[in-house]
Amino acid sequence: MLSNIALYGAIETGLIYGLVAFGIYLSFRVLDFPDLTVDGSFPLGAAVAAVLIIEGWNPWLATGCAVMAGMAAGAVTALLNVKLNILNLLASILTMIALYSVNLRIMGRPNVALLTEETVLTPWYDLDLAYHQVPVLLFVIVVFVALILLWRFMKSETGLAMRATGANARMARAQGIATGAMIVLGVAVSNGLVGLAGALFAQSQGAADVTMGVGVIVIGLASLIGGEAVVTPSTVVRALIACVVGAIIYRLAIAFALNADFLGLQAQDLNLITAVLVTLAIVLPGVRSSIAGKLSRSKA
Amino acid sequence: MISATDLRLTFGKGTPLENPALRGMSLTVNQGEFVTVIGSNGAGKSTFLNALAGEVLVDSGQIIVDNLDVTKLPTHKRAGRVARVFQDPLAGTCEGLSIEENLALAIKRGQRRGLTSAVKKQYMEKFRDSLSSLNLGLEKRLGDKMGLLSGGQRQAVSLLMASLTPSSILLLDEHTAALDPKTAAFVLELTTKIIEEQKLTALMVTHSMKQALEVGSRTVMLHQGQVVFDIAGKDREGLEVKDLLGLFEKQRGLEVDDDSLLLG
Repeated sequence: MLSNIALYGAIETGLIYGLVAFGIYLSFRVLDFPDLTVDGSFPLGAAVAAVLIIEGWNPWLATGCAVMAGMAAGAVTALLNVKLNILNLLASILTMIALYSVNLRIMGRPNVALLTEETVLTPWYDLDLAYHQVPVLLFVIVVFVALILLWRFMKSETGLAMRATGANARMARAQGIATGAMIVLGVAVSNGLVGLAGALFAQSQGAADVTMGVGVIVIGLASLIGGEAVVTPSTVVRALIACVVGAIIYRLAIAFALNADFLGLQAQDLNLITAVLVTLAIVLPGVRSSIAGKLSRSKA
Repeated sequence: MISATDLRLTFGKGTPLENPALRGMSLTVNQGEFVTVIGSNGAGKSTFLNALAGEVLVDSGQIIVDNLDVTKLPTHKRAGRVARVFQDPLAGTCEGLSIEENLALAIKRGQRRGLTSAVKKQYMEKFRDSLSSLNLGLEKRLGDKMGLLSGGQRQAVSLLMASLTPSSILLLDEHTAALDPKTAAFVLELTTKIIEEQKLTALMVTHSMKQALEVGSRTVMLHQGQVVFDIAGKDREGLEVKDLLGLFEKQRGLEVDDDSLLLG
């Protein structure tokens, strides 16, 4: 079974990946824009926050800058697509590759340690809580605020215009919506959220590393798809809750798989487990409905 | 008033598939006129409508909508003046959004969109009133997803959406062609009712010559990217499909003569 520390650790990372899943929901689901920039904007957020914290900035201000950096990266991807007509997937790969160099430049070396620095978490350790519970409390608050803000945005005039852009661009244009501007805004906000996730991840793990972005897109997608399988995303708020639920379930599943001795899995099997879980998350809802279909047919 | 002057547009210029869709197309539509547009396949009807809407930009010529030159403006910058209903009933609405959200999108057509809530309480009465005029019971289903509605219902809602805010011209692109005959008749009736009640200026493309003569105040026929005839008022009264076919064949015959003259 999971130890308390492993359990809280899984929830903590799950909450951070919940923010990534929000971003991926915005690009993949709302805008129908397959965006791989996140593999670069996640370490970008981490790098910007880490370097600024070491420079002595207020950690919240540093985190804010990480969000802005993520948004800028997203805007570059969207502009490559909208202005230069580069296929969206390819545009995002180009930005992702470019960000690898940018992240190395920002940090000046492959990784930056934050172990002795003051982070957004530092003041919270004064609370009368166990060491491993503190990040969970703070990240629950951050994720909750992000969820409420995103939900309100999606219900606003601009948010509705963004949803229409992804669902039916021709109709959106006919309603006077500047679809190009909506794509830029949406992909920017999406990567801003991922930048935030990266900044928080670096601060809770105590380091920023240039390779920490590898596979973030897959984990985010796993969270999104898994969450949608558990919480039917019939409304915006349910879709957002699905992102968080999916991310936490994913991290718990990974933690259980690695802790179950009889399976004989080890830490290096993480990516294999991820790929298997994503495949299951994509296939299972279809299997479930086809079984349901067969059952109802046999009844009739 | 809408005026299109000498519009020219060639698709796939410089390729073996070069296709001149508009070849000097000119048409002026006055305030309050309801023009029906007919023509065979490839006559340039849809291209003309797309050019007016901004979905395609013309190679040359000029389009003026209520004293504003819109020739070079993209679709979304014309949308405040140009309302549109598509042929495909699924194209005019968003199936993933609710009926009220679709209407809320349309009520801001061509206007700035901010960060205030999109579906506002003060819209509800207007939404319910206009939906109840359809007699489809949709006023009780404002929160339902658009995708739950039938094609005919969605086309009726598209029509409402296009007329929710004032426009200089309403473009109808064979908007009954994809519906079954009964539903098509219902949507057409609704169209004429809305256009008459709100005194809209409208341009309706149709494949049916009968429909083109039954509704509207003026009929225009396109052929090979140009207007071949334009009838209104007394000339149009009492005209039947066979008269229209006669006119059409006469025009086509003349075209052939022209060609043979040129080639000979």
